[in-house]
Amino acid sequence: MNRSARAVSALILAAVAFAPAHAQDPRLGNPLDAPSRVAINALIDSARAQGIPTEPLIQKMNQGVAMGVDGPRIVAAVRTLTREMATAHRALGTVATADEIQAAASAVHAGVPAVELGKIKKQSGLRRSLTLPFTVLADIVSRGVPVEAGVNAIRSLVGAGAKDTDINTFQRNVSGDIEKGAPPAAAAETRAKAVPTKPDSAKPEQL
Amino acid sequence: MPEWGGGRTTLEMIVQELQRPVAFDETFERRVMVRVRRLHAERRSRGWVAIASRITHRPGWAAALAASVVAVVTLGLMRSRPDSARQGGAPLEPVQFVLVAPEAHSVAVVGDFNDWGLNDSALVATNHEGVWSVTAPVPAGVHRYAFLVNGKQWVADPSAPRATDDDFGMPSSALVVEDSTR
Repeated sequence: MNRSARAVSALILAAVAFAPAHAQDPRLGNPLDAPSRVAINALIDSARAQGIPTEPLIQKMNQGVAMGVDGPRIVAAVRTLTREMATAHRALGTVATADEIQAAASAVHAGVPAVELGKIKKQSGLRRSLTLPFTVLADIVSRGVPVEAGVNAIRSLVGAGAKDTDINTFQRNVSGDIEKGAPPAAAAETRAKAVPTKPDSAKPEQL
Repeated sequence: MPEWGGGRTTLEMIVQELQRPVAFDETFERRVMVRVRRLHAERRSRGWVAIASRITHRPGWAAALAASVVAVVTLGLMRSRPDSARQGGAPLEPVQFVLVAPEAHSVAVVGDFNDWGLNDSALVATNHEGVWSVTAPVPAGVHRYAFLVNGKQWVADPSAPRATDDDFGMPSSALVVEDSTR
């Protein structure tokens, strides 16, 4: 066999070896039934084509498998997450990071209108990551804080330049107050006022 | 699936093979010209199908084919590179997970950061008078996780934000790990 033939043979072998690798993410769980795997793979391809992060979709599937949930229910959850991330992606724009999109999707899932998330993103500018603020917004709304009160609280905190540690403290305090019986809206509004602010960093950057 | 690093090594070997000089004997040029003339005549008489049947042993064509295959394989791999590869490049930050569970026999932390693997010994918590804890390096970013108590009961972290998308009817928590290098 001459050199070129050997090289071509090696390439064909390499192509055969690699072909399955890029047909499907290897973490598409083996415990899943074949139709569910195919459906999730299609959702992931669709998300990738739209520029939506795919890692959260894979992890949603992994979570379902770990929790012993059946395939169709996992597919439904991945489909819902794909839709919510697409909504969040459109609302935040191309400047949003993958983590921000995922966090915003959880807020959308909790009932926060995506347009409100877009406004917060526009207000905060490019440098301030909104991953934690969106995560906390989703949390407090899921604990009963009305959407409007939650959005106002997060918007005022971000606008005032609150750091992530301050927003973490805010979340712990609000959830603690609610567990002790405080009306959720009152807890959010009151605790938002207590967070230290930095007027200098409150100026939004141009997007 | 071959590892990303393993794939690169294979490609390097292929490239090395392709870059190796090919030694031709003295009659090579004469034989090539004879073939070219014959091909030219055949193209006139029989068209491109005839040419296709003659190109199988030509180093130039082989190199072109090889380059095409390498490009297709490489692009395919790059396109399919999972986000986890990106996440794998994120800096790891130590995170302590704590659950107060005096009655528990075992507590483990399971989440995005270990692909929801149920047998990850690195995330098995140790018991200190009912206070279970484990500290593990977690990539910067946003994660979902839960405690698995006694190998069967899923428990959210009471000190962390809820993961609102608990579509599976079992609670989980959200974790945002800051990149301390930024």
